[in-house]
Amino acid sequence: MDTTTAPRTPQRADSPTWVEPAPFAATAEHATKIYGRGSTEVLALDDVSVGIPSGRFTAVMGPSGSGKSTLMHCLAGLDTLSGGRVLLDDVDLGTLSDAELTKVRRDRIGFVFQAYNLLPMLDAAENITLPMDLAGAKPDREWVDSVVRTVGLEQRLTHRPSELSGGQQQRVAVARALASHPELVFADEPTGNLDSRSGGEILEFMRDAVDRLGQTIVMVTHDPVAASFADTVLFLGDGRIVDAMASPTATRVLDRMKAIGD
Amino acid sequence: MWRTIWKSLMSRKRRLVGTSLAVVLGVAFLAATLTLGDTLRAGFDDSFALNNAGTAVAVRNSSELTIGDGTQRGDIDASLAERIAGLDGVRAVAPEITGTGQIVGSDGDPIGGEGPPTSATNWITDAALNPWELAEGRAPRDVADGAPYEVVIDRGSADTGELAVGDNTVVLTPQPVDVVVTGIATIGGNDSLAGTNMAAFTERGARDAVGTEGRISSLLVASSDGIDDDALRHAVAQQLPTGIEAVTGEQLTAETLDAVGDDFLDMFEVILLSFAGVALVVSAFSIHNTFSIQVAQRSRESALLRALGASRRQVLVSVSIEALLVGVVASVVGLAGGYGLAIGLRKVIGIELTSSAIVMTSGTIVVSMLVGVLTAMLASIVPAIKASRVAPLAALRDVAVDDSGSSRIRAVIGALLTAAGIVTVVTASSSSDGALGRAGLGSLATLVGAVVLGPVVARPVAGLIGGAVAVARGHSGRLARRNAVRNPRRTAGTASALMVGAAVVTLFTTFGASIKATLSDTVNEQFGGDLVISSTAFSGSPTSPELRSAIAELDEVDTVAGIGLAGITIDGRATEATYTDPAAFDDVMDLGVVDGSFAAMTPGQVAVSTQYAEDHRLGVGDTLDVGYLDGASDEAVVAATYDVRTNVGDVVITDDDWTAHDDQAGDVAVLIDLAPGVSETAGQAAVERVSDRFSAPEPETRDEYLDSVGGQVDQMLSFVYGLLGIAVLIALMGIANTLSLSIHERTRELGLLRAVGQTRRQVRTTVRWESVIVALFGTIGGVALGTFLGWGVMRAIAAEEGFGVFDAPITQLAVILVVAAGAGVVAAIRPARRAARTNILAATAGE
Repeated sequence: MDTTTAPRTPQRADSPTWVEPAPFAATAEHATKIYGRGSTEVLALDDVSVGIPSGRFTAVMGPSGSGKSTLMHCLAGLDTLSGGRVLLDDVDLGTLSDAELTKVRRDRIGFVFQAYNLLPMLDAAENITLPMDLAGAKPDREWVDSVVRTVGLEQRLTHRPSELSGGQQQRVAVARALASHPELVFADEPTGNLDSRSGGEILEFMRDAVDRLGQTIVMVTHDPVAASFADTVLFLGDGRIVDAMASPTATRVLDRMKAIGD
Repeated sequence: MWRTIWKSLMSRKRRLVGTSLAVVLGVAFLAATLTLGDTLRAGFDDSFALNNAGTAVAVRNSSELTIGDGTQRGDIDASLAERIAGLDGVRAVAPEITGTGQIVGSDGDPIGGEGPPTSATNWITDAALNPWELAEGRAPRDVADGAPYEVVIDRGSADTGELAVGDNTVVLTPQPVDVVVTGIATIGGNDSLAGTNMAAFTERGARDAVGTEGRISSLLVASSDGIDDDALRHAVAQQLPTGIEAVTGEQLTAETLDAVGDDFLDMFEVILLSFAGVALVVSAFSIHNTFSIQVAQRSRESALLRALGASRRQVLVSVSIEALLVGVVASVVGLAGGYGLAIGLRKVIGIELTSSAIVMTSGTIVVSMLVGVLTAMLASIVPAIKASRVAPLAALRDVAVDDSGSSRIRAVIGALLTAAGIVTVVTASSSSDGALGRAGLGSLATLVGAVVLGPVVARPVAGLIGGAVAVARGHSGRLARRNAVRNPRRTAGTASALMVGAAVVTLFTTFGASIKATLSDTVNEQFGGDLVISSTAFSGSPTSPELRSAIAELDEVDTVAGIGLAGITIDGRATEATYTDPAAFDDVMDLGVVDGSFAAMTPGQVAVSTQYAEDHRLGVGDTLDVGYLDGASDEAVVAATYDVRTNVGDVVITDDDWTAHDDQAGDVAVLIDLAPGVSETAGQAAVERVSDRFSAPEPETRDEYLDSVGGQVDQMLSFVYGLLGIAVLIALMGIANTLSLSIHERTRELGLLRAVGQTRRQVRTTVRWESVIVALFGTIGGVALGTFLGWGVMRAIAAEEGFGVFDAPITQLAVILVVAAGAGVVAAIRPARRAARTNILAATAGE
């Protein structure tokens, strides 16, 4: 990464201008989410209270139906809670109107989805600057260029998604997520559709973003190898947080996952 | 954001072409209609201006009356010419004597009479006042008594009738007058004056043929150099007695243009505009459907944009801008198409005018563009709003596009509207006043209600139709049926366009059949005679009274009665009346006399319809003031009231009364009752020999008459069908468009079916029958609606006019249904082929 183009806030702990970040970038307080009505009711989140540490890579894991995706959707302002609240850096997302929520997603959050990340009719460069274009804001060109160099897409900027491989498409998505300097990046199974090499690349980029740029990333995954890139792993089961693991390894994560089912 | 919109549009170019085609057609039709109207108007204006170019002032009678389709003006005293000729500023005056005169061609058939007037007039000797130029031969000269009159005819008539200089022929005024053609004329280089026919005699000849001694139709005044027309008009007017007026040449031109407008152009434009309206409504449906589907297919994109932070408004705006661009581009193309269409239509209309340059005003351009853009935008509002409402979550999940529900509100509104419409139509004829207006309003409400109700009834009705298909075509048919009903809103939306088109087509079909049935009933119930001679031409010469007398002299004939049109005033009100010989008429026609005696009517008496009697509070024995065009007025007593207004209108006077005041009286129909024992064939042959002598139309039996009138109705209907064809075409294109878009949407499904074992042919069958079900759904609805509306309108007409029978031509309606089914098959050809070619792997693996 090109260190001469300094990011806006130096984030390394051993840097002389280090500023201690706020402890949590996002918090859920007694979050509850119920889908359906009557006999088809599903309790997706059951009184979940958790904080997402700022400047860290957090993975959220759990079997299907554990509520991990739901938790992330609610934290990211894509879905609303049935009970409790979600705070994004002190702002209660439940108090925001749809327009305000939209602005939050646009300006303060970055997204990487499992599939269908990119608009098919825009090329890579346009996809990367999409949130800023929506805001009508001018992108920080130096920053965007360095992000592009980081993910290694300089040669592919004018290509359409259909002309890119799966791995390249995900890299574009990661670049987009980082390009607008969001407070928080949400990644929903970002490596789910990729082979192990491409997936590994993506995880390296995200790890790099956290380490050198102080980015906060929350990643939902079911893959223990992916989870091992994180600083903390939150385990969900049946809509509740059942465990948290610091400094995870793939083996420990796998063992813990097996235990959730018991 | 703009870049996103632009790229989005570009990536969808091909799909949008199909959508915009609908607007292109609608706008082209509208633009062509407006342009044609303007072009014809300008052409007429130029022609009439040319005709009046040399005339500074015209002096004429101020009173005119409407008779049938034309107007007649009183005449003026010929001695006015001397008084005016001596005025300052007057260079020359020329008398004009004009009347109806139809030239008979070399084959014995009268020329013209299909709309533009046929006139017999005098050849004006002053070169400035005479707009015509002699192309061949020479001007007419007076002849000895008994010799054929010399005439100059227009080149158009000469060509049509194959007449050359030196030919002998006849001019019907309506008495046949022997003439010899001495010259052929053109006007401004054109073969005729706006398609009219002219035979120009000498002044004396014209007076003999169509005029009265000592009287002329008008006086044309040419001004000296430097004299202002208005000033001269003023000066001339001072010299005129009351009842005579002076107008400038320009005023004359403007008046004539107005008259043509009233008679022909305005109605022509209104009719064409209504069809353009139908085409545009249908295209609006088309666009709405296509945009709905496209929005649904793009919901993932919209969801992603929303997830990434695009506001609802931004998404709404982007869809709207797409619609705007479609509207603009399509309107521009439509304008160009309209221009070309106008050129084609102009050739078809074929009236020869001074200038045939196509006039496309800026008004036409603005209106067409506005209408095209507005149609596209209005049609896309609802889909645009739906797009903006997509939840961002849809980007993460594979949200199935569930549009199957139809809201309760919709069902209620639709049911109410339809019920209200139906009730209005059924009760419209309860009172004769404004029955037609109410029926029209009720029809509109019913139509709109049916469209709103569409999705609600789509499931059961399409299911029913599909049931038949399922039985007939096995599993593929079952799939087709399921596909047709799974999304009632889309099925109904697609079918609605076709329904509107089918309803209008059916309406006109039932109309035509009803008119024919009404006529048949009228003729059979009321006409007691055997033969009819009717001049079916609009503006041709009526038949001469001498024809009537000649026929009466035949042995084979028992009674002859003629009907003619009489323009009179009653108590000061202009009234269209009929004149006849009451006794003879009563023999051959049943008027349904209610009070008094019709047959015994004498001159000085009138008969009125019970309707007229009611409206003006009259009864047998009351006295009326009857005024005629020649200025005379008499008192007349009401001798009888009758019920049947179909043939003779509201007022009947005796022929003796009329011929006393009109030199050019002629019959529009002659009714003949053959003597007992005479066969129809023999009688017809005998009468025909007489009518040939008078160059009159051939006598027809009852059936022949019904056939020929029926033929005219059919002709008009084909013209209507041609125009409606465009709307139906747009609707069918909409079905094809919708189908292919929905195929694209169902790629995964199709891939799965093919993977699991459905053959390509089965896929094509399914798609084809789905299209047929939708097409039939729309058409059956449209036919049912059209039949009901036709019934309602006929009933209203019956209430207002006193006659009108409804007839639903079952065979023709069945044909419409079969054609619709066939069209459904055709519309499905390409989408079916595309569906059958689905790449199985790409479909099941991809997004």
